[in-house]
Amino acid sequence: MKDRREFIFRFIVVTGAAVSSVLVLLVFFYILGESLIFFRTVSFPEFLFGSTWSPLSPKPEYSFLPMILATMYISLLATAIASPLSAGCALFLTFNSHKKISRFILSCIDMIAGIPSVIFGFIGLVVLVKFLERHLHMTAGESVLAGSILLSVMLFPYMVTGCAEAFENGKAKYYAASQSLGVSKWYTMRKIILPCASNAIFVNMLLAFSRAIGETMAVMMVTGNSPIFPKLLGRAETIPSLIALEMGTAEYKSIHYSSLYAAGLILIITVFFIQLAAHRLNSAGRRNTL
Amino acid sequence: MKMKDSLFKLWVLLSGSIVTAVAAGIFLYLFFKGFAVISPEFILGSPRGIPLGTEGGIFPAIAGSLMFGAIAGILGGALSLCTAVYLVFYCKNKKISSYILHALQCLAGIPSVVVGLFGYSFLIVGMRMPKSLLSASVTLTIMIIPFITIRIKKALEQTSEEQFIGSLSLGIPRGYTIVKLIIPSSFRYIMTSLSLGVVFAMGAAAPVMFTGAVIISGVPSSLSKPFMALPYHLYILVNEGLSVEMAYGTALVLMVIVLLINIICRLMGSFEDI
Repeated sequence: MKDRREFIFRFIVVTGAAVSSVLVLLVFFYILGESLIFFRTVSFPEFLFGSTWSPLSPKPEYSFLPMILATMYISLLATAIASPLSAGCALFLTFNSHKKISRFILSCIDMIAGIPSVIFGFIGLVVLVKFLERHLHMTAGESVLAGSILLSVMLFPYMVTGCAEAFENGKAKYYAASQSLGVSKWYTMRKIILPCASNAIFVNMLLAFSRAIGETMAVMMVTGNSPIFPKLLGRAETIPSLIALEMGTAEYKSIHYSSLYAAGLILIITVFFIQLAAHRLNSAGRRNTL
Repeated sequence: MKMKDSLFKLWVLLSGSIVTAVAAGIFLYLFFKGFAVISPEFILGSPRGIPLGTEGGIFPAIAGSLMFGAIAGILGGALSLCTAVYLVFYCKNKKISSYILHALQCLAGIPSVVVGLFGYSFLIVGMRMPKSLLSASVTLTIMIIPFITIRIKKALEQTSEEQFIGSLSLGIPRGYTIVKLIIPSSFRYIMTSLSLGVVFAMGAAAPVMFTGAVIISGVPSSLSKPFMALPYHLYILVNEGLSVEMAYGTALVLMVIVLLINIICRLMGSFEDI
């Protein structure tokens, strides 16, 4: 009796694990398979260094370059805006406010991570884009700048919690010693805590960057979506927006359809390598500080 | 020296207040703007006005979102729990477990829109499934499996190994130990991971856009019917310029549902501690 129950339990667990593994592999190989047509017909220099994206014209051209540049531009700018603010905020929360207040603020910031990205896109459209139109005298506020600012807000929760964790570790290790030597709080923060957490901050920036690359809805709603070379105050289209906007209209099994899968594959590979680098750095950093 | 110190001070205080203000601002802004729109008819009615939706009524969207959230949560939760338990307690082959783990991590990094693309062409176009609650839920399930599994696995690894070994050495079978000892002791983390996954699924607009969500429909009566989803409804209201007013209301309702699920699960976790 007992044995049979054990067997059933084991069977359920193994089947469940097998089903999810198969699903995961299926997604990966399906994406790979569907993008093959594209990689066979369009040459490497053409899709990486061409200048126009016009899959529906009589002489179709498939170049991801404008979209890749736009994705990089927006994500880099967003990470650049979010990092100093988040690191500063994390320092503030770890050292300068009451513990209970810090915890409350931290959980509020954490809640932002749960807000769906459509809501961010909506707020960005009615607040941020309007603001840019009014104050920068732009005819249309949908731009790389709007996308980056919005994206940086969405990165706050991840970066603030990540940095706060690193600072908390530093605090536990060195703060008491530094205080007993009579060193001021601010000097300790600047000369000891910050340098000792620099690796962790950098890892956080990488992870935030990889998150930013994949963000779809929010960015799509505020950047205007034109497949042209990105300028700070001009329209742009990122790779995820390209996929979301064109997957409904691309003809099944056409080169255009396959090109969207290729774009997805490029995205996956980029994200994978950035995350790999982040994990490597993280474990290397851990070893150094021990 | 003094200069650097005060600049540093300024930076910390300034960024602390900016981030806090932005976080509070988002919640308060949505709350006040959305609160003006919300009424019983808005929440409980079907879409009204010409074009439909411009005069409110989001009940089908709320129902649709809750339904696919629940289905994806149950399917994804069960599969993820099995995978995590297998990886931690059953898989003896290091190679297999590291392959599965790498594949999961890789899929966790995939942007949600790519999963949507897969769902659309594999399920809808390839397998000729109708655009329905089922196809969207399956797509979302695939999206949240890696997300939940990695978190549950972490929770299971943190349970006491001595307890597990102690239980085994008393002759208590492995499965019984897991069900009666390991899962209850990490129940809190399992529930939080699951709720985060469900919230992630309910908020995603890109994957459901082509796999089952439609602009107008009633409350779906079966798994093979298309449905309305809150995030997609919000996107349509804003993007087609139908009604910004109603969009505020929809955004608030969506945010409140998501936050409620989040908070309830956190509270459930803290009760477990007492």
